[in-house]
Amino acid sequence: MLIASGLSKSYAGKVALHPLDLRIDPGEIFCLLGANGAGKTTTINLFLNFIAPSAGSATIGGLDVTREPLASKRLLAYIPEQVMLYKNLTGVENLEYFTSLAGGTHTAGELAGFLDEAGLARADAGKRVGEYSKGMRQKVGIAIAIAKGARALLLDEPTSGLDPKASNEFSALLQKLSGSGAAILMATHDLFRAKETGTRVGIMKHGHLMATYATSELGRSDLERIYLEHMHD
Amino acid sequence: MKYEWRNLSADRTPLTITLLLGLALVYGGWNGWQWVSFQRATIAAALGEERERLAAVRTEIPKVEAGERKVSAFTDPRLPQALGRGPGARYVVMPPSALGALAVGQSDLYPYYFKVTTGSKQTFLNSDEIENPVHLLAGRFDLAFVLLYLFPLVILACSYNLISAEKEGGTLALALSQPIALPVLTMGKLLPRVGLVMVLAVLLPVVLVGLGGGGGAEVRLLLWVAVTVAYGSFWFALAVAVNAWGRSSPTNAMALAGLWLLFVVVIPAVLNVGVKAAYPVPSRVELIQATRVAGDAATRQGAQLLARYLEDHPEMAPAEKGGAPDFGTVQVAVSEATERAVQPVLDRFDAQVAGQQRMVDRFRFLSPAIVAQSAFNDLAGASADRYQHFLAQADEYHRQWRGYFVPRILKKVMLSAADIDELPTFRYREEELSEVAGRLGLALVGLSLPTLLVGFLGWRWLGRYPIAGA
Repeated sequence: MLIASGLSKSYAGKVALHPLDLRIDPGEIFCLLGANGAGKTTTINLFLNFIAPSAGSATIGGLDVTREPLASKRLLAYIPEQVMLYKNLTGVENLEYFTSLAGGTHTAGELAGFLDEAGLARADAGKRVGEYSKGMRQKVGIAIAIAKGARALLLDEPTSGLDPKASNEFSALLQKLSGSGAAILMATHDLFRAKETGTRVGIMKHGHLMATYATSELGRSDLERIYLEHMHD
Repeated sequence: MKYEWRNLSADRTPLTITLLLGLALVYGGWNGWQWVSFQRATIAAALGEERERLAAVRTEIPKVEAGERKVSAFTDPRLPQALGRGPGARYVVMPPSALGALAVGQSDLYPYYFKVTTGSKQTFLNSDEIENPVHLLAGRFDLAFVLLYLFPLVILACSYNLISAEKEGGTLALALSQPIALPVLTMGKLLPRVGLVMVLAVLLPVVLVGLGGGGGAEVRLLLWVAVTVAYGSFWFALAVAVNAWGRSSPTNAMALAGLWLLFVVVIPAVLNVGVKAAYPVPSRVELIQATRVAGDAATRQGAQLLARYLEDHPEMAPAEKGGAPDFGTVQVAVSEATERAVQPVLDRFDAQVAGQQRMVDRFRFLSPAIVAQSAFNDLAGASADRYQHFLAQADEYHRQWRGYFVPRILKKVMLSAADIDELPTFRYREEELSEVAGRLGLALVGLSLPTLLVGFLGWRWLGRYPIAGA
C-alpha cells in the first residue's frame, strides 16, 4: 500500500533523507523511530507530497504521490503531532468540513457515528474545539480517517503529549484501523508504544533507515537496547 | 464555504473593519449627496435669478418705450450693448450627472456655471467663484475616495493572512492532506471575503443612486459596479499573490501595506509632481494680470481699435457715417482686442493642461488607483474630459451670444420686449455614452490585466507553496 523506492530528499546540498526503500502492506503498522532530525517527518512529508523528492518515488495504493497527488490523497489520512482544528467550530463541524474537502457528504447521524467510533463522547462532539484537549482533537483526526475510509494512515508523533490512558486508547484505535486493512506509517519517539502497537519498527538516523524489525520477534527490553545501540555514533 | 463563513464571522476583526467600511461609504455618499444638492440648489438659484431678471426686462422695455421710465444710455434695456452685458445675460450651466454624488472629483475645483455676457471670455470664465481653500487642497471625502483608499485597505486587512494563518494555526497541513489543491482551497477561503467586502462596496452606491432617483443611469451604474469589482479584484489578487510567497502573517501585512502605499499614494503623488514639472500651467494670477494689461491697453486705444475692427468687418459698420463712436461700440472692439491679447496665455494654459492629461493617460496604468479614480470621475461626470466638453459648449454659446449682440450694437439697433425671447439660449448637451464607454473600456482593461497577471503569478506561486517546514 505504502511504497518508497529510492526516495530521497536534499536541501541545498544537505541530505535530509538518503535513498529509502520501504514497503508497508495493508494491515501493517510500521513505526519509524529516531532522534529529532533523523528523517522521520521528511519521510511522511514526502508521502504527503508536501515536499518534492530529490530522487526516487513514493506511491500509495500504486499511485505516485507527485504525479497523482489528489488521487493518492483520496486513499490516505494524516494525523500530525497536534491535530489543529478550527477552534470556533464544533468537533462535528470540523469533521464535516475536512471530510467535505475530500469530497465526502455525510448525514449528521453518520458524522456522529464516526466520532463515536473514534471514541469521542457524544456530549463533546457538539462542543467548540477550542475547549478540546489534545487527545480529543486526535480523536477527531481519527474520525476524519474513518469517515474517509482511508486505506493508508500517516501519523507524525501522534501520541506525543498524550496521557497514558489517552495514548492507550489511541493505540487501540490504530490497531482497529489496521485490522480493517489500513496500512499505517507512524513516526514516534515512544518505544513502548511502538513495541505495543506496531507490527514492524524501523530505526532512522541521519536520514538513513538503519534497520527494521518485526515487533513480534522483539522482547520487551530488546527494542530499547537496539535503539540505543543505533543512537551511538 | 459554509464553515469558512462561520470561521470568518467568529473572528470579529474582518466584520468590524467591513462595518467601518460600510459607515465610511455611507458618510462618503452623504457627503457627495450634499455637494450635488448644493450644486443643484446653486444652479436653480442662478436660473431663478435669470428668469426674474428677464421678466423684469420684459416689463421695463415697454415702459421705457412709452417714456414712463427715464434711463441712461448705460442702463437702457433696449440698447443691445446694455442688455447683452447685464440685464439680458444668460447662465450656462453644467448640471451634476446622475452619478454625481458618488464622486466629486474635480467638480469642486471648477465652476459649473457661468454668466455669459458680451464681454470677453475671460470676464465670465474667471469671475467670482469662492471656494473653501481647505476643500480645494484636500478634496472631498466622497464615496469614490472611500473606494479608492479604504476599500483596498479593508480587502487587505481581511485577506493578508488568508493562507499564512492556516499554516500558523496548523490547519493547512490537515486540509492539504485531503484531495484538494491549494489554489482551490484558497479560492474557498477567498470567496466569502470577496462576498462580504465586495457586496457592500457595490450595493451602497447602487442604493444611493437609487434613492437619488438616478433613473436613466443604469448603464453608467453598471459600469461603476464593473470598475469597483475590477479594482477590488486587483487587491484580492495581490493579497493571494503575497500569501502565496509563503511568508508569515506579519510579513504579509507589511508587504501588502507597502504595496498599498506604493499604488495608492506614492505612484499617484510622483505622477502628479512629474506632470506638473513636465507641463507647468500658467498661474491664474498671470492670466488675470494679462487680462488687466490687455484690457487697459485696449481701453486706451478705444476709438482706434473700433476703426480697425470696422475695417476688418465692414458689414458691421453703422448705416450713418460720422460722429464720435459711443461707449458700446468701442467696448465691442476693446473686448475683441482684450480677448486676442489674452488668447496666447489661454492657449498656453490649454496646451499645458492637455499635455498633463496626455501624460497622466500614458502613465496611469502604473497604478490601478489612478485608473479607477479616472473611471469613477468619468462615470460620475466629474472628469476633466466632461469639464472640457462643458467649456467648449460655453465657448460656443458665448460666440452665439456675441454673434447676436455685436451686429446690433454696431448697427445701433433698438431691441423690443419681444426680442428677449429671441435671445440665444443654452442647453447643456451631455457627453455621448459611447465616448465615456470608450474611455471606461480602456480603464477596465487597465484594471483587469494587472489583476490577471497578479492572479496568474499567485496561482503559480501557490503551486510552490512551502506547506511543510518554515
